[in-house]
Amino acid sequence: MTPTDSTIHDLGYRRYDGEREGARGAFRALYWQGFRAMFGVGRPMKTKAVPVFVSVVTMLPALASVAASGATQGQLPITYANVIGAQALLFLLFSAAQAPEMLCRDQQHRVLPLLFTRDVTRTHYALARLLALFTAMFLVALAPLLILYLGEIGVAKDPGATFAKMGNKLGPVLLFATLLAWVMSTVSAFLSSLTPRRAYATAAVIGGFLGTVVISQGLQDLAGMSEAATKMIDPIETLRTTAMQLFGETKRWMELTPPPSVWVHVAALTALGFAAAAGLVWRVRRVPV
Amino acid sequence: MAAPLITARSLTRRYGAVTALDALTVAIEPGITGLVGANGAGKSTFVKILLGIVDPSEGDAAVMGHDVVRERANIRALVGYMPEHDCLPPDMSATEFVSFMARCSGLPVTAARERTAEVLRHVGLFEERYRPMGGYSTGMAQRVKLAQALVHDPRLLILDEPTNGLDPEGRDEMLALVSRTGREFGISVLVSSHLLGELERICERIVLIEQGRLLRAEQVGALTSETATLVVELDGDAAALAAFVARVAAAGLLVQAERQRVLVELPDTATPAALDAAYDAVRDAAAMSDTGILRLERRRGHLQDLFAEAGA
Repeated sequence: MTPTDSTIHDLGYRRYDGEREGARGAFRALYWQGFRAMFGVGRPMKTKAVPVFVSVVTMLPALASVAASGATQGQLPITYANVIGAQALLFLLFSAAQAPEMLCRDQQHRVLPLLFTRDVTRTHYALARLLALFTAMFLVALAPLLILYLGEIGVAKDPGATFAKMGNKLGPVLLFATLLAWVMSTVSAFLSSLTPRRAYATAAVIGGFLGTVVISQGLQDLAGMSEAATKMIDPIETLRTTAMQLFGETKRWMELTPPPSVWVHVAALTALGFAAAAGLVWRVRRVPV
Repeated sequence: MAAPLITARSLTRRYGAVTALDALTVAIEPGITGLVGANGAGKSTFVKILLGIVDPSEGDAAVMGHDVVRERANIRALVGYMPEHDCLPPDMSATEFVSFMARCSGLPVTAARERTAEVLRHVGLFEERYRPMGGYSTGMAQRVKLAQALVHDPRLLILDEPTNGLDPEGRDEMLALVSRTGREFGISVLVSSHLLGELERICERIVLIEQGRLLRAEQVGALTSETATLVVELDGDAAALAAFVARVAAAGLLVQAERQRVLVELPDTATPAALDAAYDAVRDAAAMSDTGILRLERRRGHLQDLFAEAGA
């Protein structure tokens, strides 16, 4: 419509006879709106603070590591697991801040009754929101790993030969980003769905993850359990160990008390994620509207 | 009579020891229907069962022939819901919010955007629609809530207390909007309120519930049936009015003057012929006494009387 004169044409109400995409379209809308919210796209500046901070701060050490390796002509090896393991708490900050952005806000502003009377079932709602958080976390976790991977090839004297040698590292890069995003997004989404208050949810997510550190440490010190066993209780430490194994790196304690194989870790982390996802669906199906 | 829009059969909903709906059986036809009851009478529970967000404990209900429990998915596209409570995220704009809601009803992106612009214009929201909704007045917020209920072109609009929190002027505007939506666009409306007076003005039917039970369900016309009093509003000076009253009285009708208004009692045994004669007498009296008739109508009973009756 181009306004050619100043007349306002009241067309009245028009019926809509066009296409309806039903549940599929509704799922896509929920996913896409949630995914954008994870990075604060189209939202006020303050909602962009955490995603931008985490993305930048996790990428910087990766860039530094690549630069150091380049400056020493590859003498200083790039240690993927060390770099990414040190960022674990930042990824936790991202999921603790962003999961409530979707799940608590919808409860707090009472949007759920509007959604559940449309082509959105409760299960679809839970899965679309979880998928949005998972994708966002996957990208955030993947970014520094990709920098390391591409950097290692880029700074090598003979990129072609290096690529041929380490092409198989892409698997661990993708697998680890997936595992980290899966565990953190499912657990944060489940905990956030329990309350309409964002602050409580953020505290619950951080408290939940860090609480296991205390338990793990306590069992080790007081009950005298082996380090390899108690570390399995702490998901973040388990992620770190898994990264070490995936990228073929090692630490002193791992040589003293060898941890279970990498596939035990992968299976445990996957199962934890599925349990949390099931908890999320269970909670959303029961949340009063 | 048209096919029922909504049917409920011994619909019961219990929350623990509290019975919110108690064997409610009612059939509601297309058109604008008012759902009236005091706070806690079970209006919201009834509405939520129809919408499929609360399950009935016993009994069943259907919207446009679809069972509210088994055929929930079929009802979604047919119904638009405006809740009683706030439901607008403060940092979203009305345009963003309404078009997101349209997409959640399965409309493709372009269609969602077009429908959003149309319904927001329809409810009377213009430049404000790009601003975050946190800064909206209650009146504007209510308009957005109505717009999101209309955006996917439902056949039935369910409005839960749409005038809550509005000032008298805002109330009138909202009621006019609801009335226009129902009458001009052919969308059936079920509107709940605890204020009978405002529903009387816009509804064709009233369903009255109390403590989860149906009290009455009738046409507003039947509830507020015509009385035997004819109200005549006249234009003219005092002498002309006096002449008019004298002439009507001479025709053998009981007449009472109230300033510019004259009440004429019609004969009790009102055969059509007798009524016509009475109307003719009024018309002739006006013509001969040099007064103009501004309004001529049968006085109606008020719903308020019905409420008092039901409460007794």
